[in-house]
Parts: sequence; C-alpha cells; structure tokens
Amino acid sequence: MSLDTQTKLAIYRHFAETGQRPSLQVVAERVRADVNNVREAYERLRAQRMLVLEPDGVSIRMAPPFSGVPTQHVVIVDETKYFANYAWDSFGIPAALKRPGRIHSRCEQSGEPLNLEIGLKGPSPCSWLFHCLVPAARWWDDIVFT
Amino acid sequence: MLSFRSEERVGEWCAANGYPMRPLVTMDQLWTLATTWYSTRLQENSRRPQPNEMRSIFAGLGLEGDFWDPQSDSFG
Repeated sequence: MSLDTQTKLAIYRHFAETGQRPSLQVVAERVRADVNNVREAYERLRAQRMLVLEPDGVSIRMAPPFSGVPTQHVVIVDETKYFANYAWDSFGIPAALKRPGRIHSRCEQSGEPLNLEIGLKGPSPCSWLFHCLVPAARWWDDIVFT
Repeated sequence: MLSFRSEERVGEWCAANGYPMRPLVTMDQLWTLATTWYSTRLQENSRRPQPNEMRSIFAGLGLEGDFWDPQSDSFG
C-alpha cells in the first residue's frame, strides 16, 4: 500500500475512532514513516481534495465528512461526538461509519434546533430542507465557506 | 450547505443576507448524496467522485442544470 493511502487511512480512522483530528506526529507514528514524508503525503491528499489543511500546512481542517474543528453540525455515533463540515457531511458521518447516529444542528434562519435520528437506512421522514449557496463548479474556490 | 426548517426560512435568510436563492435539497436527496459520496470513505480505495460521476449522481437525484454541473462556467 502506498504511503499516501496509508496516510489517508490513518487520518480517517483516527477521526472515526476519536471524533478528533490527529496531529502530524500521530499519523506519522501510525504509518511508521518520517514526518516530512507524511507532510508531503498531506499535500498530495490535499491536491486530491481528500484533505483541507489549515494555513500551517499540517493541521487538518477537514477530512470530509469529518471536521477538524468544532462546527454547528454535531453528530453522535456510539457515544462518540463528531463535527461535520456542513449539513451534507453531517449525514456523511453515519454513512461513512455505517452506524446509526444522531444529528444535532439548527435552522440557519430561525435557530430552531434540528435533532434527527439516522438509521442504517437513513433518516426518518422529515420536512427540513437544505440550501447550497455555492454552485458545484465553485465549491473548491473556498471550501470552508461552501 | 445549511439546514432550514422550511422554504420560507430559506427565503428569509437569503433576503436578509443578500444571497440568491438556490435549488433546495430534500432530506431524502441529501441522504442519498451522503451515502454515495462517503460510504466507502474509510476504505483503502476511496476517492472523490470525478466530475462526470458527480454530474451523473446529481442527475439521478433530479439535481440538474448549471448549478449542479461541476464544470459549468456559468458562475465565473
């Protein structure tokens, strides 16, 4: 398995197991590689849009659907708390983990809480709606804003 | 992508912030997008869908037009 694939799996599995972003050192230990080589793998994964990094180039802002920083989109799966990058990703976390979960978010206009159970086959019927402001062709111009 | 209680709340939010109102996505559509995008994300061979795959996924859910086209130049 290539270092890029090992690095990707180490990052995603750390998020899945803990709900939090791993440090560069933790990833390097997990893949048993030098941190400089892992940092280079980060750059290649960023180019593939599998990672979004902070300006320091090593802190993980996003490993979609997981967020490396707290957001308004909280997902609980098996008592582990995760943050999602946006509404789409809050559904993506139970989908990636293949586990039922609970989503806690809010209506962006009214602030009304959204508390949603997600089963293995998806959410129960619900009339909430989702609005994507940025056209698909522009998502990666500023993925954090998107 | 943000959550809203109703289409009316989306309209209010867009008006208050000076944003255009875009196509809305239902809960069922969003769940299908999430599973299509992310169900293999923890696996060795996972990757993001390519533009032609994205277009096909969106079209299969009725999400069509320039807004959902990842290679559209209509919003430059």
